Amino acid sequence: MEFSELIRTGQAQAELLRGPEVPPLRGTLCVTGHHLLLSPGAQATPDLWLLLLRSVDSIEKRVAGDSGTITLRCKDLRVLQLDIEGVEATMDIARSIEALSSLESVITSFPFFYRPKSLRLGDAWHCHPPESYYKRVARETNAWRLSEANEDFNLCPSYPRAVIVPRAVNDDVLARSARFRQGGRFPVLSYYHAPSGTALLRSSQPLTGPQKRRCAEDEELLRAVLAGARPGARGFIVDTRSVQAAKQARMTGGGTESKAAYLGWKRLHRPLERGRPLQESFVRLVEACGDLEQSMDRWLSRLEGCRWLSHVKETLSTACLAQMQPSNGGACILVHGTEGTDSTLLVTSLAQIILDPLSRTMAGFQELIEREWIQAGHPFQLRCAHSAFSHTRPKHEAPTFLLFLDCVWQLSRQFPLSLEFGEGMLLALFDHAYASPFGTFLCNSEKERCLCEVRTRTHSLWSGLNQPKEQRKLRNPLYVPNPSAIWPSVEPQSLRLWQGLFLRWTRPPEPSEVAWEKVWQIVTDQEKAEGSPPTVSASESQP
Amino acid sequence: MEFAELIKTPRVDNVVLHRPFYPAVEGTLCLTGHHLILSSRQDNTEELWLLHSNIDAIDKRFVGPLGTIIIKCKDFRIIQLDIPGMEECLNIASSIEALSTLDSITLMYPFFYRPMFEVIEDGWHSFLPEQEFELCSSATSEWRLSYVNKEFAVCSSYPPIVIVPKVIDDEALRKVAMFRHGGRFPVLSYYHKKNGMVIMRSGQPLTGTNGRRCKEDEKLINATLRAGKRGYIVDTRPLNVAQQARAKGGGFEQEAHYPQWRRIHKSIERYHILQESLIKLVEACNDQTHNMDRWLSKLEASNWLTHIKEILTTACLAAQCLDREGASILIHGTEGTDSTLQVTSLAQIILEPRSRTIRGFEALIEREWLQAGHPFQQRCAQSAYCNSRQKWESPVFLLFLDCVWQILRQFPCSFEFNENFLIMLFEHAYASQFGTFLGNNESERCKLKLQQKTMSLWSWVNRPSELSKFTNPLFEANNLVIWPSVAPQSLQLWEGIFLRWNRSSKYLDEAYEEMVNIIEYNKELQAKVNILRRQLAELETEDGMQESP
Repeated sequence: MEFSELIRTGQAQAELLRGPEVPPLRGTLCVTGHHLLLSPGAQATPDLWLLLLRSVDSIEKRVAGDSGTITLRCKDLRVLQLDIEGVEATMDIARSIEALSSLESVITSFPFFYRPKSLRLGDAWHCHPPESYYKRVARETNAWRLSEANEDFNLCPSYPRAVIVPRAVNDDVLARSARFRQGGRFPVLSYYHAPSGTALLRSSQPLTGPQKRRCAEDEELLRAVLAGARPGARGFIVDTRSVQAAKQARMTGGGTESKAAYLGWKRLHRPLERGRPLQESFVRLVEACGDLEQSMDRWLSRLEGCRWLSHVKETLSTACLAQMQPSNGGACILVHGTEGTDSTLLVTSLAQIILDPLSRTMAGFQELIEREWIQAGHPFQLRCAHSAFSHTRPKHEAPTFLLFLDCVWQLSRQFPLSLEFGEGMLLALFDHAYASPFGTFLCNSEKERCLCEVRTRTHSLWSGLNQPKEQRKLRNPLYVPNPSAIWPSVEPQSLRLWQGLFLRWTRPPEPSEVAWEKVWQIVTDQEKAEGSPPTVSASESQP
Repeated sequence: MEFAELIKTPRVDNVVLHRPFYPAVEGTLCLTGHHLILSSRQDNTEELWLLHSNIDAIDKRFVGPLGTIIIKCKDFRIIQLDIPGMEECLNIASSIEALSTLDSITLMYPFFYRPMFEVIEDGWHSFLPEQEFELCSSATSEWRLSYVNKEFAVCSSYPPIVIVPKVIDDEALRKVAMFRHGGRFPVLSYYHKKNGMVIMRSGQPLTGTNGRRCKEDEKLINATLRAGKRGYIVDTRPLNVAQQARAKGGGFEQEAHYPQWRRIHKSIERYHILQESLIKLVEACNDQTHNMDRWLSKLEASNWLTHIKEILTTACLAAQCLDREGASILIHGTEGTDSTLQVTSLAQIILEPRSRTIRGFEALIEREWLQAGHPFQQRCAQSAYCNSRQKWESPVFLLFLDCVWQILRQFPCSFEFNENFLIMLFEHAYASQFGTFLGNNESERCKLKLQQKTMSLWSWVNRPSELSKFTNPLFEANNLVIWPSVAPQSLQLWEGIFLRWNRSSKYLDEAYEEMVNIIEYNKELQAKVNILRRQLAELETEDGMQESP
């Protein structure tokens, strides 16, 4: 196996410092193909300390005298310090970690080797197929159909094999429309809002170019959407770029829908930040959070300067806007930006959490992430290659998914009873998106996952998270199903820094966790005393 | 009654009331001597009873014959009344203005309020200094009660009874009083049972420009030190401010004259700077523009959280000197009635588990704020909406409550009371039907005969039906010292006070209730389990007895 070439030393004596309140750990340090191990030796607790090398974001080494210090900054924002005996050992270990943590190859990554005893391969990979969501839609309306036009990923490499499209258009129309949309991402159904009979769709930008090209099939597709909706329904196209940016996109072959070509559709522009500015915002925020000695003024102005909360606010506002129409009068909405794989998904997935009580259950939320992020082709591997500590220049990295999780956290803070999952779930998703023993967040699209045989050769995160012993950390003990839409307040005063994530490792052990732990204890005791199993998520009890 | 002269129009029909979280309601507006009442007559719940003394400022506007009065309350609520008829509107507005700014304390509502509830325990006698002293005297005999200030002659802002070192006689106290600002000689604030160290507080020493000294003062302070031990003097002013104070006759303790004491200067803001900070903060919270940058920079510019951080840092420092270094402390600023009390009372919250219980916290407020002579009347005369900048208003007490809230947020299981308790205290400090927060010190309260003529807030609060609203369901007595984090990231805006009227707390309240329900239900089940266990044990012993013969 090729790992052995990258591992330059067997082992060394080291001391690990994990933060202000945690006692240091001494023992033998070992680098393996995927992990950093510290075994504390016979006399101490037998617990082995383990770190997935993939989760190392940046590494810094210093030597003084005959010992060295390695500082590891992890993708989950933790900072670890290793004091190692021996200069050579330090250098060797540092180089090994550096090489192993930045391996590019997917199929040599840990998920392909992870074989826990409690799980069976292949479990939960079939939990959330597009067909199951289609069944839900089909119960409400017959205006939509499941198309397998993308069976071989020929129409659109970033779409899954099956997508939901208007029943009135055939696969040829889809093929033509795909050619008119960036990356082949023709408009598909994201969410059907049964109470108003309207739909939320997503796509990428149309390739109008400087000549304002048109595509009859693409127009037909959107006409069919309106025709299939409630009579008299209007359409809104939410472009997640500014008017100016959308116009500029024409020069590079992109563009936006012209009013004349799409009758019944009105275009709105809601600029959302993406790509590098978003990554920089994340980096600056984490930097500010790490400094505990600064003055209040400095902290607040850095919090303002990094603009992270502004991005949270803009994202939530756009999600609210996208939904304002269906529940109020009934309008269909198409969301797209440029590629339709980032801000578009932010808006469509958040809108569903706001509107759809099912997506606020544990099972429904997992289904939403699978359908609207993983299968919808958010390029996790590119976006989450590095986190906030990396020194390498960002290329495709962007914390889009983290921004989504932060917005969900804001919702959970404003509606503490309405979400079945708790902060623990959001933290787990953040951690696993950046480095995980599971295969769920590997690769950039379904096509790549098929090529790598991710489904058959790795374990699904969902089967890991849905084990009873994990669920306890992930569920919200106060959950009470709430059938109505939850409209968040998006005024700046209502939005907060997500301390649980950004200050997870820097603040002293959070005392409110003690309170949380206590509530949990009581709820569990209560369930035991009543002799009934914990309530399962509402979606499972659905007909 | 003279109120009648001030009320030009006692009632107006067809007035529309707009207020946060309620739909607009039309009804009859009535003015009484102490209340503004709006009744819709359809539904009793649709009513507004507002104390005039809760009104901080009013604005009036006219559109044609329709007048609008905007009432800004001291608890930061803003309500609007649409009044048909210009004359009525003007009359109402001028009446409200006159009634909400009555000069005479004896005309205030507490002197007219007759409680509708049964008084179980008279709050005026709930926290007597003698009882409080017993807590200290049971542990040490180094301190005594002094009645030197019985007639308020030695220090007008001190209570009649204070705790001083046993070895210092009343004659010496009189001399020390002459040497301290406002006569506030050093007195005991807190006795730390764990190691016998103490917190004292006082006014600044009147050293003046020529470095005056007072042998009795030095003797008093040194009397509190054990042999060979050092102490700390925490001056809540920065060094240059303390130095400037000498020009006005004030000053600070010179090292040469107090060799066993180390002086530490901290900078806690006071007076109008705090008031302006509050005004800016409340303005920012009410800002309707939907811009994150603007909100954060306004929050920063208000400096409110900076003040919180400074106060908490100083309190932690004092607590640290006492608990970790085993040194006694003397705390003072200029007058010793504001920042000094913030520090001494917060240090006790950190150090003393009893002050985190409801009764203990009430005792703390009584001892360290009311008896200690914080001038509530002056400081809480106006709140964040007032335009007329007077000199004496300052949200010193609100800052203290905010700091307590920050600690409570960080240690949610260590306090017997909840956030609502702090909010209630804030409201009553600014406008109340009870006499507790009237007057500026004990001397004034005695002259007003508050004990005889008004009801104590504690008489009302300490009834079981009220207490249940203020009890923290997560409370578990924690006998440890609790060290709050003062990193800027750990401190937050107190939404329960500052965004209370802008954000509906409906969902948060629901969550809170759900938690309370779960905890109550758990207690019931636990009781059931205990009964069953006992029955089981009984049955087992019966079995044993049957088998044994």
